[in-house]
Amino acid sequence: MQQFAVLQLTGCAGCEVSLLNAEEWLEEYELVYMPLVISANSIPDVDILLVSGGVRTDEDLYRLRRAVPHAGKVVAVGTCAISGGVANLGNRDEVHELFLAEEGRRHLPRLLPRCRPIAEVVPIQQALPGCPPTPELFVKLLFHPSDLHIAKTVCQECGRKKHKKMRPGHLTGLLRGAVLPDICLINQGYVCIGITTRGGCHAPCTRAGQPCVGCRGPSDAFIHKELESWLDAIRKIFTKMTDVPRDEIEVALRSPQLSLFLFQFSHDALTGAYPEQDVEVL
Amino acid sequence: MATLTFPLSRIEGHAQVVIEVEAGEVVSAHFQATEYRGFQHFVQGVPAEQMPVIVPRICGVCSTAHHIAAVGALEDVYNVTPPPVALKLRELLLLGQLIQNQATSLFLFTMPDCLGLNSIFDHSEDPKLEQFRTQFGSRSLMVRKAGTDLINAVGGQSIHPVKAVVGGMTTGVPPAEADAVSRQMKKTLPIACELFDSYWTRLLDMGNRIGTWGDNEPAYYISAGGKDRPDFASGVVQFMNPDGTDGGAFSAPEFLGRLTHRETDYSYAGKTSYKGQVIRANSLARINMFESMETTRAEKYLKRFRSDFGRPAHELLLYDLARGIELVYAIERAIRILEEPLVAAETAVAHTPQDGEGYGLVEAPRGPLIHHYRVRNGLIEKAEFIIPTVHNVMAIERALKVAAQRYVSPQKVDMELEHAVGRVVRAFDPCIACATH
Repeated sequence: MQQFAVLQLTGCAGCEVSLLNAEEWLEEYELVYMPLVISANSIPDVDILLVSGGVRTDEDLYRLRRAVPHAGKVVAVGTCAISGGVANLGNRDEVHELFLAEEGRRHLPRLLPRCRPIAEVVPIQQALPGCPPTPELFVKLLFHPSDLHIAKTVCQECGRKKHKKMRPGHLTGLLRGAVLPDICLINQGYVCIGITTRGGCHAPCTRAGQPCVGCRGPSDAFIHKELESWLDAIRKIFTKMTDVPRDEIEVALRSPQLSLFLFQFSHDALTGAYPEQDVEVL
Repeated sequence: MATLTFPLSRIEGHAQVVIEVEAGEVVSAHFQATEYRGFQHFVQGVPAEQMPVIVPRICGVCSTAHHIAAVGALEDVYNVTPPPVALKLRELLLLGQLIQNQATSLFLFTMPDCLGLNSIFDHSEDPKLEQFRTQFGSRSLMVRKAGTDLINAVGGQSIHPVKAVVGGMTTGVPPAEADAVSRQMKKTLPIACELFDSYWTRLLDMGNRIGTWGDNEPAYYISAGGKDRPDFASGVVQFMNPDGTDGGAFSAPEFLGRLTHRETDYSYAGKTSYKGQVIRANSLARINMFESMETTRAEKYLKRFRSDFGRPAHELLLYDLARGIELVYAIERAIRILEEPLVAAETAVAHTPQDGEGYGLVEAPRGPLIHHYRVRNGLIEKAEFIIPTVHNVMAIERALKVAAQRYVSPQKVDMELEHAVGRVVRAFDPCIACATH
């Protein structure tokens, strides 16, 4: 039986909970380390190490560096491990000094200057993006990784229809109340970025009427390109489908708290989410 | 002075217990939460309506409660009331979360203690135990999954749900889908009861074997989960005095005004007290307060619980039995709601965003959860998250001290203490990601 371990750094345990929702691994894999459900003091040698959460404290750094030599393969799982995740919002200059107040706690792991993706610290071989990755994606990762090379976007998986004549003049989607079924959210005035976001999740958010915030990161078409080409593709779709003034779109896309910036960028909106090293993105 | 440090597992998040001993006397027992992200800082400046998408990420275990507390707080700011069907859907979401959480806490976190295993996934050499374990393990994952699938159907996504919006829910649940979930729930109910019966026996066996868990003294109990019957959106926090008498009901701001909150330099989570005394939240607080469970099987369990342990019950190990009663209740109640119509012409009402201040209060699995926002120019100016686990920190530390005193003597430290520490903390099922946020 292959053995695998799950190292949870600073995060929300959502990735672990999602993994528990996929029981299929029980038959072919032995889970030997995952503090959420197992009492074990250290990581033994394993075939696969899944790492979730970002590197926020010096203890995260220590535990990550200590775990990696025991692993045949290291997979960064979830947005926090891959790009820092939602905790990235704490890296913004305007709130950074609020964190300095926390320094007074003497007997605790120290906060690092910013929340870092794990690939900045250790070499990784694969990345499974998502916030969290669905149980199905975990099963594929463990059993059929070749099925995971999906070029598709969330937009292609969404099933909502685009309408040529329904052109919103402003981004007012969130104020509307009820969402119209079966119609593209951009037609309804939402900032939805499913057009450039990696598929594989089956679009649970947009199907449910929430715009895609890009938690699975860029699709294959954009993954190794400059951020600007990604933004350009989004701008183009809004120009094509809406009469929303250009500066209004620009503000929405550039707002450091909105949509794609929420999940994708670790400290600087102009740095790509993936490092230079050779990482297979699933 | 000697310092004993015990890292914790089978709880949500990163925490440890530090016990200081001097000349055989326990000087202090501290519960340390060792991770921190700073949500209350970094959501400053966020467009208010993005909060229901951002704050579920406080915790992957309790994301549903945060999702609903966030829309609740904004509805309070904007002065908008969701339609009845949306409230029903939100109740289903909270039930789904309760099923998932109580099944996880009972069967994955604490059952291994009863069996003497490190994990429910831990292979045992003893063939009889191994057979029991594999069967119990796979069936508990099934019960968990029923909760998860319910959240999926109603919330669009089981972790970090997306369907609750200011003014209501984006969509309802079509009859065919509701039927499918209902069938699954009906199949799950007898299994959950069987697992709980088996758990009940083994927990009390362990109780008889090792004696007390720790601290069984009275405390103030708090719950926003309703009084006559379970109601996780009751909108008020109910107090029960240590002697079991009614301590009154308070709105979110009144409740916060009555508590004393303190930060420490040894934990990223604060702690609260009431009139200088220990508070207890979570399952035992609710079970002590409910007049009735309202559903058939859960009501039977409650009667048995009351006749065996009295009311209010204070024994620490009873937190887990209280969880089991709630697990059964949540499944029964979900079955009942799934029979009602869950689609409507309007599942959300239109609203006009405005600036102001608001509170969102729900009863999460661990107790009353409050989101408090101040909105200015459409952006979050100030956000405060009042987390149930924080109300239990003093109770956890008091219980840890009792446990430590039992196993520490001038001659030696009995290393059974390590297990005792785990049992004490798990009884409270703390959530560290939430507590520190």
